[in-house]
Amino acid sequence: MKPKITNPITGALLLAGCISTQPAWAAPQEKLTVALYGGNWGEAFLGCVAEPFTKATGIAVAAEVGTSTTTLAKLQQQKAKPTIDVAWMDGGISELAYAAGVLDDLDPASIPNLANVQDKALYRDADHLFAVGSGYYSLGLTYNTQEIKQAPTSWKDLWRPEYAGAITIPSPANSAGVPFVFFLADVWGVDPANLAPLYSKLAALDTALYFDSSGAASNAFQSGEAIIGAHFSVGAWDLIDKGAPIAFTLPSEGAWATDTRLHLIKNGPNNAAARRFIDTALTKEASACLASKLYLGPAVKDVTVADDVARKLPWGVGGSIDSLKLFDWSRINARRADVTNDWNRQVTGKQ
Amino acid sequence: MKRATAAPLLMLGAALAFFAAFFLAPFAVVIFASLTNSADQSFTLDHYIKVLADQYHWDVILVTFRIAALTTLVSLLLGYPLAWYLVRVVKWRAWRRACVILLVVPMFTSNIVRSFGWMVLLGRNGLVNQSLVGSGLVDSPVRFLGTELGILIGMVYILLPFIVLAAGNALAQVDPAYEQASSDLGASPRATFFHVLLPLTLPGIISGSIMVFTLAASAYVTPALLSGGRISVLSMLIFQQYSSVFDFNYGGALSVVLLIFTLIMVGLAGRVGNIRGDRP
Repeated sequence: MKPKITNPITGALLLAGCISTQPAWAAPQEKLTVALYGGNWGEAFLGCVAEPFTKATGIAVAAEVGTSTTTLAKLQQQKAKPTIDVAWMDGGISELAYAAGVLDDLDPASIPNLANVQDKALYRDADHLFAVGSGYYSLGLTYNTQEIKQAPTSWKDLWRPEYAGAITIPSPANSAGVPFVFFLADVWGVDPANLAPLYSKLAALDTALYFDSSGAASNAFQSGEAIIGAHFSVGAWDLIDKGAPIAFTLPSEGAWATDTRLHLIKNGPNNAAARRFIDTALTKEASACLASKLYLGPAVKDVTVADDVARKLPWGVGGSIDSLKLFDWSRINARRADVTNDWNRQVTGKQ
Repeated sequence: MKRATAAPLLMLGAALAFFAAFFLAPFAVVIFASLTNSADQSFTLDHYIKVLADQYHWDVILVTFRIAALTTLVSLLLGYPLAWYLVRVVKWRAWRRACVILLVVPMFTSNIVRSFGWMVLLGRNGLVNQSLVGSGLVDSPVRFLGTELGILIGMVYILLPFIVLAAGNALAQVDPAYEQASSDLGASPRATFFHVLLPLTLPGIISGSIMVFTLAASAYVTPALLSGGRISVLSMLIFQQYSSVFDFNYGGALSVVLLIFTLIMVGLAGRVGNIRGDRP
């Protein structure tokens, strides 16, 4: 027979005892839900962060796989009672999530490793620290080494007649599409306030395809449909590592870059464990692991990686965060609708 | 007696509940968004005016329905003879069964995989271009990807089975005695086809065509992959608004416009079927 607890004070004391002797994150039945991307990204996040986290705390991690935009849509739908605790989302979507009010502030007291993160990778709005960078990647100039013997040195080389019909750049449906328009405006010296001259340049570019997804770009480079164009560092190096005749370069104008970020979800079911998870992701070990698996540029200070990994980081040999062209996402988000509409009419419509 | 009425009601109820939960409710959300202002949720027709007062959208609507109509036409021209072959010509049952399996099996694979397959086949270095250049038919690779022709090829491949199955079913229900009677009375095979077989199978053709047309008009994956973003159809504009611009109001209006235009086209097709069907 079970002893009955009749006295409410005894019950309360027992309950309090349970709480004080067991840290909140150590409850064995606890399960942390983390939103992350699919494919090699998701595998790397799980291997580099979730595994060590589960080993240290005993808390299982359930992955909620989706792109940043899907994750944001889910977070908006479940705003009243979220099931996701932590979410990886790209730069740009991160700002939209903050504006949608689904993010909780990151508190350095409960996430001590925030102190090891480069200041540029801490995203604040007034005194709200709403996101922390988990690794940088860039959109570099990628080309087929069998078809193109002399390495291109400028983004303007895309317009050379010999590449006509075999070029690829991101479409506005891709997360890099709209910022890439601003990046090219910078390359061509076009005033971002009036992008019309750039659109006519883009309309004159004889592309094989505008890619919606990183996978479509990889596919185009692999099949030879595209021999030159823009591609993400993560996707391009993955192709190169698999033996495809592809090279990834950072031209003289540099490359547009962005990052994947970690977010604590407001009113998430396991808040304490979620903070601990983010803290684990910000260790040097996790950061170095992501660098070696995805060639993500670490946002954590003083991370050392092997030489072969170092040259594949988004900033190349001898570079650092400062060599990346990181744009102000709030400015880009404000222009998202009109750049997309103008692109439809003045670039796609003119094909 | 009571049981006899309860079962159909139950079956109807299940279908209605499913329809309400997975179509009507989400669609109500889309209609609501398309009619409201994102700032204060007040009623507005602005999003529809933005869609319909812009020549660009009419151009995209034209491209969307041109591709859908051509897909339907080509599927019909390829599918009807194939259905006729399967139903009337093939005598050996196992072979007919094998043909139907060959026709249906690709439908078990996702559209994405099949469209990627066409991207490989139709590419600059793809099998189709290699054969064309190798056989000396053309000097340099033909551009398929990023053209309406490329989208059309992919769509016909994916939607052809619907026509074959619908037309085949209609053909199988026509007693061959009608055709024999027609030729006994002196009609040429041509006249028999146009005056006997075609009118009798018209309902099947119409229903297959409506299926193909609506699926082609609303298709996203195939046009998105095979157009390489160089041609826009309505579904791609809708996806852009929902996934990249996050303007659910404008995206909602585009969705409703696509639905209404498709319904109008289907209504017109239904009328054609009725007129022909009513004729003695």
